[in-house]
Formats: sequence, structure tokens, C-alpha cells
Amino acid sequence: MEYLLTVMVLIGINVILATSFNLILGYGGLMSVAHPIFYAIGAYCSGLLAIHLQIPVPLSILIGAGIAMVLSFGVSLPSLRVSGDYLVIASIGFQLGILHVINNLEFTGAAGGLTNIPVLNEGPSRSLVFVLLIAVVAACAVMLVGWIVEGDYGRAITAMRNDEEAFSALGRNAMNIKIVLFAIGSGMAGLAGALYAHYFAYVTPEQFGIFTSAALLTMVVVGGAATTWGPLVGAVLLTTLPQAITFLGLPVSIMAPLQGVIYTTLVISFLFARPQGLTGGTRGGGGLEAWSASAAFRARRRAE
Amino acid sequence: MNHIFSRVLKRATFWVAFVVAIGLLGGPLVGDAPAAKKKPLRFGVADPLTGPAAIFGKDQMQAVRWAVEDINAKGGVNGHPLEAIILDHQAKPEVGIAVVNRFVHVEKVPVYITAFSNVVKAVAPIANREKVLMLSVGANAPAIARLGDYVYTTFPLADVDMNALGKYAYQKMGKRRAAVLHVNHETGRDGAKVFSNSFKKAGGKIVVYESYEQERSDFTGLVLKVKAANPDIIHIHSVIRDFTAVVAQMRQLGVKTQITSYQTAFNPKMIQQLGKGAEGIIVTALAPSVEDNKNLPAYIERWKKAYKRMPIGLPYTQYFYDAPYIVAALYKWVLDKKLPITGENMRKALVAIKTFEQPLTNTVTINDDHTVKKPVYFWQVKGGKFTLIGSQKD
Repeated sequence: MEYLLTVMVLIGINVILATSFNLILGYGGLMSVAHPIFYAIGAYCSGLLAIHLQIPVPLSILIGAGIAMVLSFGVSLPSLRVSGDYLVIASIGFQLGILHVINNLEFTGAAGGLTNIPVLNEGPSRSLVFVLLIAVVAACAVMLVGWIVEGDYGRAITAMRNDEEAFSALGRNAMNIKIVLFAIGSGMAGLAGALYAHYFAYVTPEQFGIFTSAALLTMVVVGGAATTWGPLVGAVLLTTLPQAITFLGLPVSIMAPLQGVIYTTLVISFLFARPQGLTGGTRGGGGLEAWSASAAFRARRRAE
Repeated sequence: MNHIFSRVLKRATFWVAFVVAIGLLGGPLVGDAPAAKKKPLRFGVADPLTGPAAIFGKDQMQAVRWAVEDINAKGGVNGHPLEAIILDHQAKPEVGIAVVNRFVHVEKVPVYITAFSNVVKAVAPIANREKVLMLSVGANAPAIARLGDYVYTTFPLADVDMNALGKYAYQKMGKRRAAVLHVNHETGRDGAKVFSNSFKKAGGKIVVYESYEQERSDFTGLVLKVKAANPDIIHIHSVIRDFTAVVAQMRQLGVKTQITSYQTAFNPKMIQQLGKGAEGIIVTALAPSVEDNKNLPAYIERWKKAYKRMPIGLPYTQYFYDAPYIVAALYKWVLDKKLPITGENMRKALVAIKTFEQPLTNTVTINDDHTVKKPVYFWQVKGGKFTLIGSQKD
């Protein structure tokens, strides 16, 4: 039971991360892969505040999320000048730069990681209580993103993603939307990081590198980018699948070479056969189809 | 339309290539448990079986399997067979947490073995919280001794061999100016720091002290900096892949200075890859040599017969071979005392027994401060193979 509860905690954290990443990447069309660094900032800031300043854990979690939100300017400001593949590069630079700093500071535990982080709750029902908490937070995250992308503001986000020049020509401010999307998405990632730190009591820089970017990207793509439920489905699937595989008891000689193929196949299959992801609807209804619809729109406008 | 298609294709291809290139999700773990037997005494073993560190993990797990086979061939523990549940943690903390949670909550083992400092630190809170005994084998970050009541190491930490090497370099080898390079992860930082302090304490001077990030492949700048400082010894504390790359680039750039490293470079593949460039390299080992252990020649023969080669990281595999013997001794103590098999009682057994006579690593004493003291052996590459050149036994 405890094992399942721990897996559920990881699912909840990944749901928050994938949902917030989807807000930036899927809905906003902002090609940033630096999302894990805000996860790291939330985890480290919250952990350090609780360790060194003895700030109560719930408060340190909120402060950690707030700091991640503020530091999102590190990516949102470059996004005002560059987009697409250039933003990918800028965001990777930001991610690696901050990781390098964490990796070299003594007070963050450097490469050895931050240990002895106070846990949020103790007791025999510790994990159950934490699962309930994280389920509530994850549900709030999904609903918040759903609420943001509905209505006028949601249409403005879609319009900005589809054609920023036309959007700006109509007198709308794309800069504000980008900053808001990055701030909310990064704040949510920071919250996920802080919750992770105060449950597992240890964080290390290597947890927040490019591997995590790839994992989140796959969750969003497989579940369905620019859909409300897609990241949730992707996070559940891609958190439980690796755990389930361990129970098959396959020999290492088979599993080791196959493990990459399984995931590669999954990603390639979805990108080409079902780019809208598991939960995306018809053309333009989500996933990469939403992006291609945007691309089609832009191409048509240029042709005209 | 073609434009749209090519744009989507380009973007998709980029991400696919991105995901494929970096080796994909921090994912699958691999189960490899032996067949179930009647009333087996089970324990968990987590080590990297996939990923870059698997080069060590696979051989270490083979050593564990052989040890369990050998223990069971002699009747097991009071008639109970010993059973190792071996899982892959990929040397990643987050995967290690999932694996150890499975050991504790699904497999319900009272003791588990793991390695790699980052994983050991990540899973230590679980051992302490759930009162399950954890034995670290092979991880050498000095902080491991302070990770809690249920966390013990059967392997000497970095301060043992690096302290000895620093002194040995100054006193026995007559070196006075050292350059220190290390990879920026826990083992690299801590090991380099201990070596430097020891060398300085002995009277030497550190003329270059540089770190580099993991995944780096070009070390030209570092090598040139070292060359300009003109040290008479270079200590490199890194993973084996980096070590080989750094040494190769040093040799290409004409640096012939004496190089030292730690146990991870005790690796025949390193000699194969560097060829003549490996000549003269000195590495430490914390496990006895054939001169000091009567069982070791047969163990090496077993590898040669089964795999036609030496094990990767022989000293590590010696400790891994011996770890199930410690587990067996703990189980025996608990069974003899007719105590319930729990993590708490396994810990009591460890504290009570304290000293273990081991097949391949001789006497191992678990100190009250959770450390282990062992002799340090110095090996040098001579004529394309490792040759014992000295040891420090106190």
C-alpha cells in the first residue's frame, strides 16, 4: 500500500508539472524546455528556507513556489525577443546555467544534493495524507489551467499562439500574456518541486536536467498538448508504466536494449500517427495538431 | 501545404531526435529475481543495470548472484536459502527511491544493499523512516557515514584511500606539486578535496585545482592549464569514461606527468582504451590483492572461465560478492536469537556482530561511527596490466 501511495505522490507531482508545462508549451506555443528548472527552484528554495531559516514547511513551500514564479522572468523575457527553436536554445541555456550554479554552491549541497529536508507531515498515515493533499493540488492545477484557457483570455492565448503578428496588430499585448503564462506555469512547477522536496527529503541537481525536460515533453505529447486532460493522462501513463515494467521480471539482457525502443516507439508513434495525443480531438483540437493548425493558419495568411 | 508539412515534420523530428538522443525517460526498472524457493530469506539489491554506470553494476550483480549461489550451495542460513531481489536504479536518485520503496513496501525485505552516493543519499530517509537496514556497498562519499541510524556502509569511504594516496604521493613517491582535476559530482568533489588536503598536510602544494561538468568531452583547456602549471603529479577524480578521455587528451598534448586516480580507474577497459597512454597510472584499491586473500585467485579464475575476462572494477565486485555473506550472518544472528525478522533486528544484529570475516575482503569491522577502515592498496599499470606496488595497512 505504501508503495502505491508513493507512486501516487509521483503521479500527482508529474500531473502538476505536465499540466503547467502544457500551459506554456501547448496552449501558449512557447517552446521552452526549461520547465524542470522551476521545479528545481521551488524544491531548493523551499528546502533551504526550511533548513536554514526554520521557516514552517507549509510557508516555505508557498515561498518556494513564489520564487519560481518571480524567476520565470529569466525565460519569459527572452521569449519576448525570440521564439520557436531560438527560444528552445535560450531556455536550455537558462536551465543549464541555473543548474550549474546549484551544482557549485556549497549551501545547496552542490553536486551531492540537499539532504535532511524537513518533511511536511509525519506519522503512520503520512503518505496517505500527502497523497490526498497532492491530489487536491493537482486537481486545482488542472482546473486552473482549464479556467485560464477558457473564455476571452483563452481565445487571446490561442490567437497569440496562432499568429503573434496579427494578434499584436489588433492592439493586443502578447508580452503580457507570455509573462503571465510563464509566471503561472513556473509557479506551479515550483510548487510541485517544493512538495517533492518535503516528501522525499532529498533533492539533487541531476534530477532537474534535460532528462526531466524530455520526460515532461513526452507526457504532454503523448497525453495531448493543448488539451486540459492530456497532460494528466500522459503523467499517469508515463509515471506508472516504468513502475509496471519492473514487475514483468524480464531479464536485463532483454530489457536493457528494449527500454529505449519502447519509449522511442511510443513517442514516434504518437508524433506521426496520433499527434493530437491520447485525449486530443479532431484536427485542431489539441496536441501537435493544434500547432499544425496554427502553422497552417500562418501559412495561409502569408500566402494571402 | 508542403511548407506546413515540412514545418511540422521538422519540429516533430527535432523533438524525436532530442528525446532519442538523450536516452529517454528516467524509466524502466528491471527485475531479475531468482526463482522462488521454500521459505527464502530475502534481501534487496539495487544497482545500475542500464545506463552509463551499468558497466560496473552488471559485474557487481553477477558477484552477488555467485555469492548467493555459493551460500545456498553450503546449506544457506540455518537451512533457509538466501534470495537476492536485484533491481536496476540506473544510478539515478529518483529511480532509486522507487526501487527502494518497492523493496520496503512490496517485497518487504528487512535489509537491502545499494550503491552510488547520489542514490544512497536519496534513499537513506526511507531506510530510517521505515526502520529497514540499508547497506551501502561501493559508494564512497564521506557523508554516507552520517545518513542515519539505519544506514551503514560495508565499504571504506573516500577519506580512507584518498588520505592514504595523498600521503603516499608525497612521502613514498617524492611528489611535491600536484594538479587535481575532478568531475563535478559528489564523489569527484569529495575525493578531490580529501586528496588535496592530505597532500597539503603532508607538505605538498596544489598548483591547479579544477573541476568540470559531467558529459563534457573536450578537456583541452583544462589539460593546457595543467601543463602550464608544471605539476609533478596529476590526480584525476572522475568517472571512468571521463578519466580515459582526460588522460588520452593529456597524452596527445604531450603531458607525461605521473597520473593517479581512485578505485573506479581500476578497470582493464581503461588500459585497453588508453594503450600505452595508461602506462604508469597509479590507482587505489580498497580490497585485498591475491597476495593478501587466498580466495581471490579462484574468484578471478571464475570470471575468466565464465566471461573470459577480469571483472570491471575488481575491488568493487569483491565487496559485492561479500555483501550477501554479511546479510547471511545477520539473518543467522536473528534466527538463532529467535527474534522476528525485521529491519530493527537486522540492525541489532549488525551492531552486535560488528566484525565479519569475509571471503574476498578479509576482515570487515563496522565502526560505531558507521565507517569501515580497510588497508589501501596501490596499483600501477605496468606492461599493460595492473601491478601491486604498495599498500598502507594502518
